[in-house]
Amino acid sequence: MNINNKHASSFRDPSGYVFTDEGVLKRVIFPIYFKQYQKLTQSGFFESLFDNKLLIPHTEISKTDTEILIQPKFIPFIIYPYEWSFNMYKEAALLTLKLQKYSIENGFSLKDASAFNITFLEGKAVFIDTLSFDFYQENSPWRAYKQFITHFFGPLVLARYHGAQSLKIMSNFIDGIPIKMIASMLPFKTKLNPFLYTNIHLLAKFEDKHNEDYKGETKAASLSRKGQLNIIESLYDFIKNLSLKEHSEWGNYYNKTNYVDEAFNLKSDIINQWILNLKADTLIDVGGNDGTFVRKIDKKLKHALVCDIDNNAIDFNYKQIKEKKEIFITPFVLDVLNPSASIGFQNTERDSFLNRIITFSPDVTLALAIIHHMSLSGNVAFDMSAQFFASFSKHLIIEFPKRNDSWVQRLLNSKVDFKDHFDFYNIENFEKTYLKYFDLIEKQHIHNSERIMYLLKVK
Amino acid sequence: MNLLYFDPGLGAMVIQAIVAAVAGVILFSKNLMYKIKVFLGITKLHEEEMVDNIEIKDQD
Repeated sequence: MNINNKHASSFRDPSGYVFTDEGVLKRVIFPIYFKQYQKLTQSGFFESLFDNKLLIPHTEISKTDTEILIQPKFIPFIIYPYEWSFNMYKEAALLTLKLQKYSIENGFSLKDASAFNITFLEGKAVFIDTLSFDFYQENSPWRAYKQFITHFFGPLVLARYHGAQSLKIMSNFIDGIPIKMIASMLPFKTKLNPFLYTNIHLLAKFEDKHNEDYKGETKAASLSRKGQLNIIESLYDFIKNLSLKEHSEWGNYYNKTNYVDEAFNLKSDIINQWILNLKADTLIDVGGNDGTFVRKIDKKLKHALVCDIDNNAIDFNYKQIKEKKEIFITPFVLDVLNPSASIGFQNTERDSFLNRIITFSPDVTLALAIIHHMSLSGNVAFDMSAQFFASFSKHLIIEFPKRNDSWVQRLLNSKVDFKDHFDFYNIENFEKTYLKYFDLIEKQHIHNSERIMYLLKVK
Repeated sequence: MNLLYFDPGLGAMVIQAIVAAVAGVILFSKNLMYKIKVFLGITKLHEEEMVDNIEIKDQD
């Protein structure tokens, strides 16, 4: 076994570790976890979770006295908690509770409840940490309870009061938002709610109080099975009914754009034709809003990533995925001007967006109606955006709104005195710069609009 | 308790008895209210929702 390929995030749990073997992800299990693994396998527990699509399926590759090797199903693109929309986050939280309830009923218990144990595959939240299941010990409290609160419950309640954007706070707290901080950020009225009071405010107080018990003098706590199930079921009920207070700014974006229907259809026809010509199987739509244009593509895609800065747009996309039971779209929240960084120990535990997208290497990138935001709101020069788009996929379909487009005008006008600084924003400069990095395959004007579509190929 | 590789929080372990008691009361009263509402015809049984319920189906 080549331990050098050990995944950077796989060091906390002594039960085993994850590594890549010629690009394939595999998991080693140590003897310390053999008993659990065998029981989970033989009792049909794993099988039941595979069938319900709640746990990532794996196959056993080899088995010796010193280690068992398993290979989990391949996930083409991992998305992290700080990239989930509100309802995706909810689903991940509910999945964790569901698994814990099922575990307890079958004599197991989740030994951790990290949000990073979950990602999304084929339109569903899926649990990916196969070794998280341990034996349940009668009358012991749930040791991952606090982790569940700081990874799931806290962030979700904060999102209710502060908007879905607050879910991004998780990118700064790899082991959950500190409970004291969650408590301090919630409005006073949450103290009057017995459920929120006990699960957050009182928990924060207790943690504070027992913080200084270095000698471990506090006697071991006990909790009946029924008691633990009460906690889990009440959390499930509460989270299931949790909703946001805010409304989407972009949710009905397509109703208020400057497109006339004809231009909108024309644009999607052009994209459709180009995708067909390219025979693309995978793509990323950067700034893809709720996935409208991806859904209009007739070619059957293997995998489409749709990202947008707006959590609500991603949420709307996710709701459609659920309704239509689509399995090929992975939606996620991403600010293209500040994409997710590499975080964790040695900055390697959770990969940056750029590393992940380079590995994913989509056949084509869609950048529709985003260049003016990047250039004018973000002050990103054409040179920089071209380099960015050229770094991870072979083809780029990019839409360029001309200077007299109403959105561009609006953005320019908001610059007031600084407006002259943006004289560079015109077709000539755009083409000259982008064609340094790309070859032009095709170019089409969208009639009845001030916009041009380009199909480019990386040089 | 073996394989404990992160701090579960001492307070968090102790508090669970209280949390469970409060949760028990909440669940009981909600259930009661639900039954009353169904009885009075205010709520319908089994409404379709985006989220499943907590149960996982066992395989035969």
